[in-house]
Amino acid sequence: MLRLKFSQAVIVGGLAWLSFVDVTAAESTVDFARDIRPILSDNCYACHGPDEQARQAELRLDRQEDLTAEINGHRVVSPGEPQQSELFRRISSSDDERMPPAETGRSVNADQIALIRRWIEQGAKWQPHWSFTPPQRSELPKIKLTQWPRNAIDYFVLARLEQDGLAPSSEADKSTLLRRVTLDLTGLPPKPEEVDAFLADSAADAYERVVDRLLASPRYGERMALDWLDAARFADSDGYQGDGHRTMWPWRDWVIRALNANMPFNQFTLEQLAGDLLPGSTSDQRIATGFHRNHRHNDEDGIIPEEFLVEYVADRTETTATVWLGLTVGCARCHDHKYDPITQREYYQLFAYFNNIAEKGRAHGNAAPIVQLASQQQKEQLTSLDRQIENCRSRLAANPADAAPKTEMEQLEKQRKELENSIPTTMVLQELSEPRQTHLLKRGVYDQPGDAVAPAVPAVLSPSPTDAPVNRLGLAKWLIDPAHPLTARVTVNRYWQLFFGQGLVRTPDDFGSQGERPTHPELLDWLAVEFMQSDWNVKAMHRLIVTSATYRQSSPCSPQLLEKDPENRLLARAPRLRLSAQAIRDQALAASGLLVEQIGGPSVMPYQPAGIWEDVASTSSGYQVAEGRDLYRRSLYTFWKRTVTPPAMAVFDASSRETCTVRQRRTNTPLQALVLMNDVTYVEAARRLAERVMQESPESPDRQLPHMFRLVLGRQPAPDEAALLKKAWNEYRTRFANCPDEARKLVAAGKSPHDPKFDAMNLAAHMVIASTILNLDETITRE
Amino acid sequence: MDPQLELSQCITRRQLLGRAATGIGTAALATLLNPKTANAASEPGLGFSHVAPKAKRVIYLFQSGGPSQMELFDYKPRLKEWHGQELPGSVRMNQRLTGMTAGQTKFPVAAQRVKFAQHGQCGAWVSELLPHTAKVVDDLCFIKSLQTEAINHDPAITFFVTGAEQAGRPSLGAWLSYGLGSENHDLPGFVVMISLGTGRPNDQPLYDRLWGSGFLPTQHQGVKFRGNGDPVLYLTNPGGVDDSLRRRMLDDVVQLNQLRLQTQADPEIATRIAQYELAYRMQTSVPELTNVSNEPDHIFEMYGPNSRVRGTYAANCLLARRLAERGVRFIQLFHRGWDQHYDLPKQLQGQCNDTDQASAALIQDLKQRGMLDDTLVVWTGEFGRTVYCQGELKPDNFGRDHHPRCFTVWLAGAGVKPGMTLGATDDYSYNITERPVHVHDLNATLLYLLGIDHTKLTYFFQGRRFRLTDVHGKVVEEILT
Repeated sequence: MLRLKFSQAVIVGGLAWLSFVDVTAAESTVDFARDIRPILSDNCYACHGPDEQARQAELRLDRQEDLTAEINGHRVVSPGEPQQSELFRRISSSDDERMPPAETGRSVNADQIALIRRWIEQGAKWQPHWSFTPPQRSELPKIKLTQWPRNAIDYFVLARLEQDGLAPSSEADKSTLLRRVTLDLTGLPPKPEEVDAFLADSAADAYERVVDRLLASPRYGERMALDWLDAARFADSDGYQGDGHRTMWPWRDWVIRALNANMPFNQFTLEQLAGDLLPGSTSDQRIATGFHRNHRHNDEDGIIPEEFLVEYVADRTETTATVWLGLTVGCARCHDHKYDPITQREYYQLFAYFNNIAEKGRAHGNAAPIVQLASQQQKEQLTSLDRQIENCRSRLAANPADAAPKTEMEQLEKQRKELENSIPTTMVLQELSEPRQTHLLKRGVYDQPGDAVAPAVPAVLSPSPTDAPVNRLGLAKWLIDPAHPLTARVTVNRYWQLFFGQGLVRTPDDFGSQGERPTHPELLDWLAVEFMQSDWNVKAMHRLIVTSATYRQSSPCSPQLLEKDPENRLLARAPRLRLSAQAIRDQALAASGLLVEQIGGPSVMPYQPAGIWEDVASTSSGYQVAEGRDLYRRSLYTFWKRTVTPPAMAVFDASSRETCTVRQRRTNTPLQALVLMNDVTYVEAARRLAERVMQESPESPDRQLPHMFRLVLGRQPAPDEAALLKKAWNEYRTRFANCPDEARKLVAAGKSPHDPKFDAMNLAAHMVIASTILNLDETITRE
Repeated sequence: MDPQLELSQCITRRQLLGRAATGIGTAALATLLNPKTANAASEPGLGFSHVAPKAKRVIYLFQSGGPSQMELFDYKPRLKEWHGQELPGSVRMNQRLTGMTAGQTKFPVAAQRVKFAQHGQCGAWVSELLPHTAKVVDDLCFIKSLQTEAINHDPAITFFVTGAEQAGRPSLGAWLSYGLGSENHDLPGFVVMISLGTGRPNDQPLYDRLWGSGFLPTQHQGVKFRGNGDPVLYLTNPGGVDDSLRRRMLDDVVQLNQLRLQTQADPEIATRIAQYELAYRMQTSVPELTNVSNEPDHIFEMYGPNSRVRGTYAANCLLARRLAERGVRFIQLFHRGWDQHYDLPKQLQGQCNDTDQASAALIQDLKQRGMLDDTLVVWTGEFGRTVYCQGELKPDNFGRDHHPRCFTVWLAGAGVKPGMTLGATDDYSYNITERPVHVHDLNATLLYLLGIDHTKLTYFFQGRRFRLTDVHGKVVEEILT
């Protein structure tokens, strides 16, 4: 009955939300940026926007001066006079003058027409697009529930809630909160002793101290790297047809180190975009530039290298725009952007920053430019070999008839070559000595060059700092300039998304006029300014967010709240979020005790069903399932072949890493159930979890089953849950006693040895319980 | 209230709101709101159906690598006269070549060494390499004037199935899953099967993106039915877990999830419960589907001896029919190995041996079951091949390079005129002389046959309404019944 009501409520809720927005708008001043531009952008800009080629009737609606202009004796918009405004007349016309024309498939509805009418009546005030002006730190808003806020974030969130007559949820209970923050900051569940310590700690700052412990954990950098690897389209293979393998893990390890060391985000930006151009750049700073060599490489027979050079540079341009600007500049590759004021010329001006790399269009594996990463020992070996080779050479020169030094030299050279080949390399950025001229490419096609262009930043954004050189370093300096309107906003928005599942701007890749407006604009700006003023301190920003009262709320949702705010835009509760593909596996490994906590190094090949690569790829090097420790490394280190995404990861929405991805996806499908039930990863984890509790709580299932539950979920089972598990365990025990062969088959799962001291029948019964727990919705969700 | 229906309403809450907020069409919504109506979604007026659909499902036989139109369908008798002569500049017109032959100093015409004959009532020309296809030509509709934009495999095949050369867009099957939903509740709506070519084993790599969901939600990605191991990955219970134990465990998972649903009130939990039930049903329905032992001998004989060998193209064709019978919306086969740069005569014989009989049998089999009326079958590669020889033209051997300017595809079944040929190429099969059909046109036509206006099946992403056909595509009216 409860659920019946519930489902009815949600349907109604959806409609209520929409009308609720309109009502709010109807009662207040119409705001051009909030209410009007989105309508014009979506319905009008394709023909009356920034794209000059597509523009109809020489009419532009995206700039103030054009909106109030007079065309052929008609005012486009006459402030205060809707009837004298051609814009209003045309969108409300009932004849064939009506705009937008039917064939465009776009239409302006009655509510939108009413909004535009009221906007004109109220004086047709224009405002620039919100994200193109620098963020301002506003005063903390006035609130009623003054005891609730813990930091500035909460004032903004609460003020918005109170505006709609909503109250925040109570704080989550301690075990939920600990599991949430531990998963969010480290990607792993809390250990039982950590749960105990936190539950026992009644100090006022107990939670803050947990947060500080987590921020200092090396697991933090690994967890935070994951989203950056998606954005950076990091992978272990080239990605096109041949999909040859590469070693970019030194770059990946640089990211983990930088995050763990809390490198300020401005430095993080400088080193990755232009580390090679920094004065006296270090080896690490050059490794960092691998960010922009992570894109795909094509080595298919018969390609035209110039065509793919253009693709690589376009990828860098568009990835940079997505990650730092939150703009869809890719639209301007073939024509002026249809919605945002970015011309095609400006696209190629941005492109020009990245078009000067000493690289080849047909590229395989670690293609030049690269750096070698010899260890100290390897360096010494090389020097020693070189010395010996030189020595042989002198002996040979002194006595050309002597065969001994010749043979010796050949052997040494062979050794040297082998050593050389064993030294890892990583791809980096390096400028051409002779600059390459960039041209605008007509229709974006590689062999249709138009005008020559020089590097420059889009005019609509802040100007480049005066001391910035005209190269990648200058571009990076522009991005981190305090006057830049986008970088800080876009970055803190992604951080918000990390902890709330959705950004304050729900289109983290589009801060342009077609993107969503922030749910809390003043909060976004406040955070952006705070971030810059803290010298781009990433850990401080993460700490600020997770110590807010907003973050610490509980997640259960009342039907009333669900009705009022089904998408949780206003944050009157904590979101309940399914874990990422990587966190789901890592959690199972951690809870079972299998996880190998070792940072970095070459990517590894954990379990994968046989033949997956061979089904589709032509590679001769097949997937070699690892042995021993490498089976149990964090999923961050799993070998990522782009044309064949690790299947159990893909099922849980992992990015293919073919292109830059900054949005999180969370689907809910039957294939996910099959993975958790049957993938050997989880069956083995269930066995080890079972063995672990039999080892740690030898007394009886009454202790063991709750212990198991707690290892995964960080809480004690409720009495009905415990009873259910115990009843099931009894049945399984009887069942396996009757068919011990089945028990033996089950406990043989996985490559890790089964400890014979545990009776197979008991262990099998425990395993099924462990598997049950690993399959729970709560297990793969952070509440 | 019917618990299943109740559950399905819970399931759809987020989708409903997501769609309301981002302006996604109502059709997919109708499907999600009540899976029961998904069956009716192919009726006019519901969902993404904009026009009366002719096809309820598609079986797409993708021949990966670029089959030579000249050795299969596009008969050019005058090539014999010109064999070994330089391809005239007036024909080549300095068109773009791949890097594999751009450096050749000579472009000698390679004549067709296979015999052609006209077949059926329609008199379609088919080469001797395809004796079985030749017998069903009266059911086929040939387009000899298909053209594409890309000249290398990866961009070309990606373009063919996603409408863009760059990675990141949804595949055709994903668009259909998103637009039309699934007809069968126990099976995925989009199934992919891959087979290796014996003509050129271990070649023509494929990529997950060809059946990927791009920016659409991941549940729309194609599910691979594999030729070895589990037919669907992770389908089989681990050793020691039989069906009754699995059911018992699942009952506990469901109960514990329901307890959580009561305290958390999150509809995602209800969805999770439903998905576990679906997974459990798949554990039965998929083996039932892939177990072909109950097919009579004459069916295996029809599809050819390889149809008894799991993972072959022939076996996949038979499975395709079984999937179609169960209402799977989009079934896509990829047969690898059609890239004949060298050793063309031998390689092509192998590829045709792999595919000819089974492709033809699929048509006949669907027809005898009355399913050809509402099943669309498509046979195509990503591009064609050049009339000139790649490498040295020898008396007994030669090869052909990639050719995007013209190639032949065939369609059959629902809504397509049988026994018809559309379009023509010049005497060299190099340029189109009549009725060019672009890949976007073909995709627009496929959607049309399924009842979808290709300009209206859109998804809002990064500020744009994306569609399979970008801003192009015209339905090929001439081939419609």
